[in-house]
Parts: sequence; C-alpha cells; structure tokens
Amino acid sequence: MEIIVCFKQVVDPELPVRDFAIDPATQRQVREGRPLVLSTYDENALEVALQIKDKTGSKVTALTIAPQATVGDSVRLALAMGADEAVVVDDPRSPNLSGPVKARLLAAAIRKIGHYDLVLAGCESADWVERVVAPLLAEELRAACVTFAGRVEPAGSGLVVHRQADEGYHVLDVRLPAVLSITSDEANRPRLPKVKDIVTAKRKPVRTWPVADLGPDASAAPTAEGVEVRDVMIPQRTARCEFLTGDPDAQAAALAARLRELKLL
Amino acid sequence: MTIRLSDEHRLIQSTVREFAARELLPVAADLDHNPRYPAEIVAKAAALGLLGLTTPEAHGGAGMDQIANVIVQEELARASAGFQTIVTVNNSLVCTPIFKWGTTAQKDRYLRDLARGTRLGCYCLTEPTAGSDAMSLRTSATLQNNEWILWGTKLFVTNGVEADVCIVYARTEATAGARGVSAFIVEKSFPGIAVGKIERKLGIKCSSTAEIVLEGCRVPAGNILGERGQGGKIALAALDGGRIGIAAQSLGIARACLEESRAYVLQRRQFGRSLAEFQAVQWSLADIATRLEAARLLTYRAAALVDEGRPCTREAAMAKLAASETAMFAAHKAVQLFGGYGYLQDFPVERYFRDAKITEIYEGTSEVQRMVIARELLATV
Repeated sequence: MEIIVCFKQVVDPELPVRDFAIDPATQRQVREGRPLVLSTYDENALEVALQIKDKTGSKVTALTIAPQATVGDSVRLALAMGADEAVVVDDPRSPNLSGPVKARLLAAAIRKIGHYDLVLAGCESADWVERVVAPLLAEELRAACVTFAGRVEPAGSGLVVHRQADEGYHVLDVRLPAVLSITSDEANRPRLPKVKDIVTAKRKPVRTWPVADLGPDASAAPTAEGVEVRDVMIPQRTARCEFLTGDPDAQAAALAARLRELKLL
Repeated sequence: MTIRLSDEHRLIQSTVREFAARELLPVAADLDHNPRYPAEIVAKAAALGLLGLTTPEAHGGAGMDQIANVIVQEELARASAGFQTIVTVNNSLVCTPIFKWGTTAQKDRYLRDLARGTRLGCYCLTEPTAGSDAMSLRTSATLQNNEWILWGTKLFVTNGVEADVCIVYARTEATAGARGVSAFIVEKSFPGIAVGKIERKLGIKCSSTAEIVLEGCRVPAGNILGERGQGGKIALAALDGGRIGIAAQSLGIARACLEESRAYVLQRRQFGRSLAEFQAVQWSLADIATRLEAARLLTYRAAALVDEGRPCTREAAMAKLAASETAMFAAHKAVQLFGGYGYLQDFPVERYFRDAKITEIYEGTSEVQRMVIARELLATV
C-alpha cells in the first residue's frame, strides 16, 4: 500500500501565553520567532500510517505545503518517526492560505506524486480548526472519505475503520483509494522517534517543489472563496461572581433557572 | 563561540524531553518514596536507544556523539535523577569501555545487548578500603587453568542488583597502584559472584546500589578487558566519560530546581506581593541561573573535546566539579525558597536536595576532581 500523510506546522500550541499574538494586518497568528511544531492530529495521522507500515510494509510519504525555510524540523520528525520520504511544496503564502485552497494544492501535489492508495490527514489543524481539508481533498481526488477515524486496520484489499461519533464509534469497511481524517485515539498515540532513526533521517529523500510546479491552476492566487475573515482576536476574559440567596431549596431552584438562562443546562 | 545544537541534537532533546514528560515525571516522586527499579521504563528508554547512545550502530547503539549524550542525560535527570543514574552508568561506564578496549569477541558477546538495553551493566571499582584511593584496591585475580579466579568485595555498585554484566577491576600484578590492576567482564551467571548488601540511600533511590562479592569467582581467560595491567587506565578513562554524564545529571537537577523555584515564587504571595517581587528572591534565582549556565558551558566543552578525540581529563573534572556544586547550591536554594513546603515530600525540591548530594561524591568526589585539576595545572612536563 502507498500512503501519503498530509501534515502542516503550526505555532506550538503550548506556547507561553505572552508569546501569542495576532497580526492585525493579515488577521493571522504571528509566527516569526515562535517555535513551530507538527499539528497535533497530523502526528496521529502519521502514527496511523506507520502502524499500517509496520504491519504491511507499506510506503509512507509525508507531504506538506509550507515555506521550505521553516518546515525542516517537522520534516525531520516525520522521517525520524518512520516515514520513508517527504515531499515539500514550497509555498511562502501557505501559513495564510485557507483550508479549501490548501486542499486544492494538496490534490495537485498528490497527482504529481502520481500514485497512492490512502491519504491521511489530521481531522483538524491545531490552529484554525476548520476541519475541511480532508473532505475537500477527497472530493478533488474522487476518493472515498471517512472523517474522525480513530483506528484503521488493513483488511483484504481495503480497510476497516473505527469512526468516532458522539454516541460511540462506527465500524466501516472502506475501499481504496480513500482519504481519512484522523482523530486521536488510545491506539494512535504518536510514537517517539528512536535516537538512531533521528540520525538516519537525514539520509531519507526529501523532494522540494516550488508551488509553481503544481501548474497554473493550483498555484494561482486564491480568489474569493466565499469566506471572508472579518476579525481575529484574543478573547478578553472577565470573571463575575453572583450570589444566590435564600434557603437551599430556593437557591437550588434559582441556580437551575440561571443555568438554563445561560444555556448551560 | 556559542553552543549551537545541530538539528539532530534539537530533535533528540525534544524527543527525550517528551519521553521524560510521559514516562518519568508522573512517577518520579513515587519511585523515590516507594523505591523500586523501574524496569518497564528502562525497557522503553532502551527501545528508543538511550542505553547505548554513543555506541556505534554497528554494535547495536544509537551512534550519537557525546554532546547528544549530555543532552539526553540532562533531560532524563531533570525528571528523575535516580532513573538517569541507571542509564548513564550503562552508557559511560560499561558500553564505552567495552567498545574502546574490548576484543571483537567481547563486543559481539556483550556490547550489542548492553547497548540495546536487553542486558544491564555495572562498574565494580570501589571497595570497603578503596574509595577515592581507588587504585589501592585489593580484589585479586589469579590465572589458573585458563581461568581467572577473583576474590574480593566491591562496594557501591550502581545497577548492582539488576545488572548481569559487570566490569570488575582486580589486581593481577605484584605492582602496587594502577599498573597492577586489570579489568574483567564478569557475568552474574559465572560461579562465585553474588550480590551482597543492598544499600538504602539518601537519594537516587530507584537506582540500586549494592555490594558485589567475589569468592573464587571463575572468569574465562578471554574475559579480561584490555591487557594485563591496563585496568587502572581503563577505569580512569571510563571515569572521564562518566564524569561528563554526572555533570549532565547535575545540570538536570539544577534546572529542575530553577524551574520549580521560578514557578513557585511567581505565585506564592506574602506581605502583599509575590515572592518574585523581592530582590533577595530575585538574586537567588539569578545566582542559580548563572551558575547553571556556566556549568553547562563547561560540560558541553568537555563533551566537545571527547567528540574531537582530544584529551578531556581536566575539562571533564572541571565540568563535574562545577556542575555538581551547582546542583547542590541550586537545591539548597530551592528548598529555602519554598520555605516550609520545601521540607515536605509533597513538593519535589526535597528530593532534588537529596539527589543532588550524590553528584558531589560519586565518580570521584569534588576533592578528587580538585586533585585531578591541580595535577594538570601543576604538571611541569
């Protein structure tokens, strides 16, 4: 099986609060000088791919659209964890591109890679949490799509997928080619790379393509997509304390009413 | 000249930090309060390659350099100094001497398993009457019928209980001092070797420290490590590297003290303000941080010399001396900064205080380090 794992880098979500800033001009998080890490669920996706590789000897390619100068650490981690090769589409615009545009670029990159059976991506990124890349990518590739997959097992010529749902999980038979968005599960906790694999990661192939190589359609400046970001802000937290009076019965009734008013019940 | 870590070094650092956060931090206090050998965590560390970091890949190790070793040891010790002791002894005092001095047969038989952590090693030098004066050791080894017969008692052996490959130093020549000593690889399964008293210690409690008793222990002739009379040289060369590991351990303990103290003084309030607003408290943190940086630079310098294949005896001694005294300084300050809470087992600083003390003692006391440094300073040749 040939597996492609799409990943992106985000500003470390565990950043000290004082280092988190929004650039009002771009309406985006300031990335300069901040540590970048693999987006959380993309790591789970990579782990799922590597577990399939451990069982079936599949080939795993890690794919990202990113400014080439800043993506080295995540590429290295993906290769050290066990990916066989990496493809970087060098696009300096990418931190500011929306999910739909990314999906189009990823599809073009996957077509350029040429062959795949399974594409995995995190169900949502740790920064924008749009949750659209995997389904849109599946649409572009005309592949089967399952979102919020927690467990993926090769089965015959396809897969058995556990899809998380509010009430538990669904078990699905999925035929290939497929695009799965991966959520975290006990079974897919990302492995730590072995020290010797960290050393040998630099010997694994990394192909870097300028975004223009994906063709004029893919790399065209993104036009209005029907979604306009109006404002991005850090919420101001305020605390208020309200005392409820009366005997315990009266307080309980008042509390229940208040919680319903606040739509917490 | 700055310390610039390579990309691989940074990834190793973040990996081991994550390993320590997942596996060690949640249990470090318990491993100390209810001491036990953390076999399952050692196995996970071994799976990552942490038990044979600088052993070449061809012999089952991770093939990393000494700077990487310092990084790993500091990250492990930041979480649990006791756990890190287990790891550093296996790396520096067992794998490294076997790699440097072992025959091909010895490397094949022992090094791969030790580097992969499927077997654990220990280093048996100290005796009841030979501590700082290690080369006055009395354990004897006599060649009889193609076997070495060893008699003696070794003390304070880290990993003594769990290890099954022991590097034992014994006197084989009539010559006194280092030149009369040879090194042997002794398996626990050989007849005549037993674990004696298991020590109860002030700190690093999850690491076992035991007596090893040799009573007519029969060691195949092929298990001598290096040449006859080379044991003193092997022991001391191993300690040069081991000292860098202990310096790194000290950095981890000192960093733990600094990080915990910083967090505490920012939130603890007395006299209407946070402790962090008091100058005396600020100066304490500044002193810890400065000594830690200085010790770190000395440690990295010693490690860089090893990686360049250059002698490092003096620099390793300086690093170990400075870093261990810094760890003790930092721990002493940390307990004081925490006040009454610093004395309670509910908080980690009392453990750092107890763990830090050993760094001034083992692998050569601070006094011995000063002797080593002075000897090099005063050498006229």
